[in-house]
Amino acid sequence: MPRRQELTGRARAERRLALILCAPAVLVMAAVTAYPIVYALWLSLQRYDLRFPNRSAFVGLENYLTVVASSRWWQAVANTVIITVVSVTIELVLGMLVALVMHRTIFGRGAVRTNVLVPYGIITVVAAFSWRFAWTPVTGYLVRWLHLSTDPLTSHGTSLAIIILAEVWKTTPFMSLLLLAGLALVPEELMEAARVDGASAWQRFVRITLPLMKPAILVAVLFRVMDAFRVFDDIFVLTGGANQTQSVSILGYDQLFVGLNLGIGSAVSVLIFLIVALIGLVFIRGFGAAAPGAGTRR
Amino acid sequence: MRHSTSGRRLGWATADAVVIVAALLPVAWILSLSVKTEAALKQNTLWPSEVTLDNYRGIFQTSLFTRALVNSIGIAVLSTLVSVVLASMAAYAIARLDFPGTRLLVGASLTIAIFPQISLISPIFNIWRAVHLYDTWPGLILPYLTFSLPLAIYTLSAFFREIPWELEQAAQMDGATPFQAFRKVMAPLAAPGVFTTAILVFIFAWNDFLFAISLTSTDSARTVPAALAFFSGASEFQQPTGSIAAAAMVVTVPIIIMVLTFQRRIVAGLTAGAVKG
Amino acid sequence: MRSGERGSAWRCVLLLVLAVAALAGPLSCGGGSAGPPTVSFYIFHEPSGAFERGAERCSRLSNGRYHIRISELPSTADGQRQQLVRRLAASDPSIDILGMDVVWTAEFAEAGWLRSVPAGLREAVSRGTLGPALRTATWRGTLQALPYNTNTQLLWYRRDLVPSPPATWAQMIDMGTRLEEQGRPGRVEIQGAQYEALTVWFNSLVASAGGRILDDAGRSALDHTATEAAEVMRLLARSPAADPSLSNQHEDDNRLAFETGRAAFELNYPFIYPSARTNAPELFRNLAWALYPSMVAGRPSHVTIGGINLGVSAFSPHPDVAFAAALCLRDADNQRFAAVHGGLPPTLSALYDDPDLRREYPFADTIREALATASVRPLTPAYTNVSLEIQSALAPPSGIQPQRILGDLRTSIGNALNSQGLVP
Repeated sequence: MPRRQELTGRARAERRLALILCAPAVLVMAAVTAYPIVYALWLSLQRYDLRFPNRSAFVGLENYLTVVASSRWWQAVANTVIITVVSVTIELVLGMLVALVMHRTIFGRGAVRTNVLVPYGIITVVAAFSWRFAWTPVTGYLVRWLHLSTDPLTSHGTSLAIIILAEVWKTTPFMSLLLLAGLALVPEELMEAARVDGASAWQRFVRITLPLMKPAILVAVLFRVMDAFRVFDDIFVLTGGANQTQSVSILGYDQLFVGLNLGIGSAVSVLIFLIVALIGLVFIRGFGAAAPGAGTRR
Repeated sequence: MRHSTSGRRLGWATADAVVIVAALLPVAWILSLSVKTEAALKQNTLWPSEVTLDNYRGIFQTSLFTRALVNSIGIAVLSTLVSVVLASMAAYAIARLDFPGTRLLVGASLTIAIFPQISLISPIFNIWRAVHLYDTWPGLILPYLTFSLPLAIYTLSAFFREIPWELEQAAQMDGATPFQAFRKVMAPLAAPGVFTTAILVFIFAWNDFLFAISLTSTDSARTVPAALAFFSGASEFQQPTGSIAAAAMVVTVPIIIMVLTFQRRIVAGLTAGAVKG
Repeated sequence: MRSGERGSAWRCVLLLVLAVAALAGPLSCGGGSAGPPTVSFYIFHEPSGAFERGAERCSRLSNGRYHIRISELPSTADGQRQQLVRRLAASDPSIDILGMDVVWTAEFAEAGWLRSVPAGLREAVSRGTLGPALRTATWRGTLQALPYNTNTQLLWYRRDLVPSPPATWAQMIDMGTRLEEQGRPGRVEIQGAQYEALTVWFNSLVASAGGRILDDAGRSALDHTATEAAEVMRLLARSPAADPSLSNQHEDDNRLAFETGRAAFELNYPFIYPSARTNAPELFRNLAWALYPSMVAGRPSHVTIGGINLGVSAFSPHPDVAFAAALCLRDADNQRFAAVHGGLPPTLSALYDDPDLRREYPFADTIREALATASVRPLTPAYTNVSLEIQSALAPPSGIQPQRILGDLRTSIGNALNSQGLVP
């Protein structure tokens, strides 16, 4: 009995210490976001256009109905899904190749790793600006190298392709570094044993490396999908959403800051949030990606 | 070793080169734009035919840019320091201590991490003005803390879970004081994670555009990404291409120095969360 | 040991709070010293320094009545509007004078963000000011702002390729096409990207064809002239005279393209003139100008007017000195300096006879003539939404379906005027 009491006493102290340790971080996060998030939810239920303040009223879910009834919303959703799926797929393949180079290369490993980090560190707006100039006929070298007769940023398909290119360039390093960590987990003895048994390099990759890397791949893809779905900076600089290249974030931004319609803009924001949360849930529940913080405690 | 024939070496060298060129090409292009003359901008060549430093001279002569650079550095460094301290405390609790709030904390920080920042700008602007944080360093540092803490806590707690904490007790049993145990044993073990997290936070704060442009109005807090939108060309309609490219190169240099110096640690940190989850 | 951990945790928090407080202290205070009231003037950065000079000069001339401090806005119009609106929506008292693009005046006035020009000052503002510029500053019959500078496009062309300038759009496209077919540069450079300039183009064409986008009551007034305008845009976009980048071009892209020598015509603002002199001296020798082409042979064109109006914020704590300062900022001396050094055409008609200005602007008479018959973009508080709908319907110009455009625009402009639906 006394022993048990001592344990609970220790558990209580531990609990108190944990709360004290977490409090500052929680306070800072709450101070900045609690009110704005609640306010955004509240605004999404109002008719509220900044220019017509006296027409404001509580309208329930009307803004949500307006958004989902709009073809512009669905066009933006379609663009965002295309950008997300295509860019994450390419990033996964390229990221794996780059990770293999970084993992296996017999020299220059440090140089490769360092250079790969440059796209990760560079300011997104700056990189997007570089791409825009590169693809503009009068100023750009890529247009000249590829002998393009038209401006690729003027049509829907090629604009999306360049947005995807910019996304892939910027975020492949992140993907490849996450995968590199996964590669490091594959025991060298296992690969050696497979080699002795006569397995080809491809067989070793598919049968041993990939299964062992599954957790790393899932987390990398989860991170990137949730991030890619909110794509904003690249589109903002490259096309500004012209040629039907709006993503959902660009659409939301335009409602809020260009249209000054806070009600509809907030509804778009909440919908984006719900979709991203749903993606996270699907990954965690459906594919068994590790939920952050769900790991076993020592 | 017998595998490393010259053919293999050549293959890997090619692979290395491809990766490096792909990573650096757009950066080289900005460098080229930044040293091109105004008249040479319309030559669509990758390399400039003549090199001028006028754009660099131009931006360093304006307080618009130099003040922004000071603000960027100060705000990013302070955000990084505070974020790492707060995140370390929380991550220690998550990784090491048994308490009921773990899931709630992780859930709340994930919510913050994925909530569209654009919808939070207007309310934050209104509050900041009311509490006089608008257009100040803390006015930017606070949002940067908020939006970097989820990632920082996540990365650090993954790191801390891997640390063999038994060593601490072992060191103390060997006669070390708690402080010695911390300094000689635990700190070196925790350092890579803390360090990497710091770099991630720094890059986040250094990159931010949306908060910077929304929560500042003068050069007392405006950072470089926000200042880029204030550059002007030779007239109202002209693009300040050269100045933007030069400023872009200047703000890319610290990032390059950092990755050159800490490449190993960044790699370790980026990957910490993923593997162990 | 546990208490030690807790102690260090608290010390960390304490240090942090102190650090933040120490930072917040010196940075958030400031100002508040005695002296003349500070009038803060929000305007985009003007590279020649004409605005700063004007602000200093007026502060000096006020004899201690006020001191003007400039706060810079981003360089793009969208960026400027977002910064201003965010502050005005929060009833921010720190703005006194706003430098507004002419198309925002109705929007800002209707939202209650502007103080209309006091009756006693109206005469001083309107005397000698160009009519179309005044109209952009008027909403619901009241003068809401002070016209600062104006701007308009001219037709620039190369004398070595085009002996005499085309009078109509049809002629110009025809001439350009023939030049291209002869293997000579015949492109027509104009802003075709999906942004405000596309509305400017459309508005100029509709007005030149004799129509308008909204009537005086602010309702859609589009008719067959809209179809004609759309046809011309499509005709150019699909002709060999179109720049391949047309649907992604802004003013500066046109300037660069024209300076490379690939074009015979350019519809653009006067900023291209000093640039060509510096960056393309060969071409500059053959650079000539004319009025914007018309839609109907024998009738003048009505090119769209641009520029900046100065408004006084409804939340300004000292509107009287703000109006006095605004009036001084737009006086003849400041406008002349901005025109000669910054290339910003004045709104005061008499300045077009000024010898300094005429030396810098050999085309001063053409500009004044264009401005005298210029058209104004729709005056409505929902202007931004209306303009976005027009841009969305007309982008890219090569994809315009002229027979459908009228119906599409009537519906979408109707929605925009009621702030219904999503902005594109």
